[in-house]
Amino acid sequence: MERAQTDVISSGVRPGLLHSRVLGYALGAIVVAGLLLVLPRFLPGFLQILMTKFLVFSIFAMGYNLVFGYGGMLSLGHGAFFGLGAYTVGLMSLHAQYNNIWVVVPMGVVVATIGAAILSFFFLRVSGVYYLLITFGFSQLLYALAWNIRWFNSSGMQGISNITLPASGVFGLRWTNLLFYYLVFIIFVLAYLVMSRIIDSPFGHAVVGTRESEHRMRTLGYNVWAFRYAAHVISGVFAGLAGALFAFNNSFVSPSHLGFDTSWLPMLMVIVGGIGTRVGPIVGAAIAIWLEYFFSLITPQRWPLFLGAFFIAVIMYFRGGIVVTLTRLWNRRRL
Amino acid sequence: MTLDTFIQTLFNGLAFGMVLFLVSAGLSIVMGIMGMTNLAHGALFMLGAYTGWTIAVQWKLSFWLGALAGGVIAGLAGLFIERVFLSRLYKQGNEQVLVTFGFVLVITNIVLWIWGGRFRMQFTDPWLRGTIEVGGIPFSKSRIAIVAIGLVLALLLWWIQDRTRIGAMVRAGMDDKEMTMGLGINLPVVSALVFFMAAFLAGFGGVIGSQLIGPNPGMGLDMLLLALIVTIVGGVGKVQGALLGGLLIGLIDSFGKALFPSIGLFTMYMAMVVILLVRPSGLLGRKLT
Repeated sequence: MERAQTDVISSGVRPGLLHSRVLGYALGAIVVAGLLLVLPRFLPGFLQILMTKFLVFSIFAMGYNLVFGYGGMLSLGHGAFFGLGAYTVGLMSLHAQYNNIWVVVPMGVVVATIGAAILSFFFLRVSGVYYLLITFGFSQLLYALAWNIRWFNSSGMQGISNITLPASGVFGLRWTNLLFYYLVFIIFVLAYLVMSRIIDSPFGHAVVGTRESEHRMRTLGYNVWAFRYAAHVISGVFAGLAGALFAFNNSFVSPSHLGFDTSWLPMLMVIVGGIGTRVGPIVGAAIAIWLEYFFSLITPQRWPLFLGAFFIAVIMYFRGGIVVTLTRLWNRRRL
Repeated sequence: MTLDTFIQTLFNGLAFGMVLFLVSAGLSIVMGIMGMTNLAHGALFMLGAYTGWTIAVQWKLSFWLGALAGGVIAGLAGLFIERVFLSRLYKQGNEQVLVTFGFVLVITNIVLWIWGGRFRMQFTDPWLRGTIEVGGIPFSKSRIAIVAIGLVLALLLWWIQDRTRIGAMVRAGMDDKEMTMGLGINLPVVSALVFFMAAFLAGFGGVIGSQLIGPNPGMGLDMLLLALIVTIVGGVGKVQGALLGGLLIGLIDSFGKALFPSIGLFTMYMAMVVILLVRPSGLLGRKLT
């Protein structure tokens, strides 16, 4: 998307057109913000939960995008970070009956960050095929741990159930699905702004540099390993935050939230939306979550077939994902 | 654990390990020559198993015909994926992996569509039902057959890898792609052939493995995870690595389930992670660039 934009500017188009483009973007942003802010108010409860789930996975995919989209490392281990955040909230609720959201969500983030700091150290010992395998391996290891150790599960089942929002909320308001949605929305906006800052910063550019040419970066004196490691830890923060919020939204955490079943989701979202773009992960999450819902109304059994075919088509024919393809079409129409 | 159960467990682990070898050998060699992980390998295994089930159980034809058909159908599906999709993503490792992931969803769902979500019983050739008693310990005939088939195929693949021209081409392709192509070897065709063989083995292994585990909707993903572990443990790109890894994981699985039933999975993932950290290229693998 960024490239398409600079093309327009540098090709010396009429200022009026540029002006209308800016206006168009602003209008689009207002419409989207309006949809996200106002629409949930009028939706039934289960759709509010779905909206929250979409925002949560957007945060997750945004963080993953830093490693995969900008850093070029195909990880199948980010479910581990997500699950660490979710399990922290779940375990606090299960063993301490403590569900103060202002305490346990930051706790989840801290645990996930520490987990990411430790695991990434191992992830980055290898590269290429082995990186894929080791990320997959650690994420499945945590899955097996959570599956097999009693302490990580509610009695008589796999996973932790009945994770509820606290009775009292902010400013004397009771926690409802809607209020929780707005909280997640604020966090989502903040996460987006923070991620934009990171991507625009010298650090973000250096991460792209390590993807494009590791040798050149090394020659220029950059510590490639350190940049990759930092990208992993940052994406761990985002994943942990998403996981902790997800635990409340889903009210159930299962071992599969640590393993492969969860790890592939942000990968798919980032690809479908637009790899290495700012809004790509959000669009991808919207498509994955919402399309699944609409599909489930018609023919839920065929959803994976459709999703898989769509995913393959994006990789083969719509390089760079939906966002980039649409921007390109839009530019072609306008110029 | 008495000696009898010990020998039984050992034997069961060996049989399961041979199935793991059949499936993982292809995954490992494809990883070696194409530098990509075929995540659809488990789905091909499942496709093969169900095809074999239709022929051997539904149509009441021969089990061995079913095994062959399972292999061929999976092989053709693999060839289709390679020719139509992967070959157009030349040198784009990440995209290739992602395409195969898309096929996990597609193939698994198509199999569910055709065969439904019911768990099917294990099936085998009528000749292989029952047990043979050796020294008072009963050994299931079908498991003996699995071990024999596994050994024969291991030797065959080993011979192809180390003693034939095509094996030399494959090994050269793993070591240095540019140089191999510079020598006039048509590496894309070799890759396609290897991919077909790998998918064939996955499908064939699906039917052979159906003597132990009946076809079911979750088998594709389960086997993918196991085959990845085997490949990690044994190492990428070598038949003997897949054999060693397969037997090791088969034994760990069998003894883990017998000794510590509650932490079966954990021991396996632990083995994988430890080996990755100590020897990233596995026990017998090549160092891939």
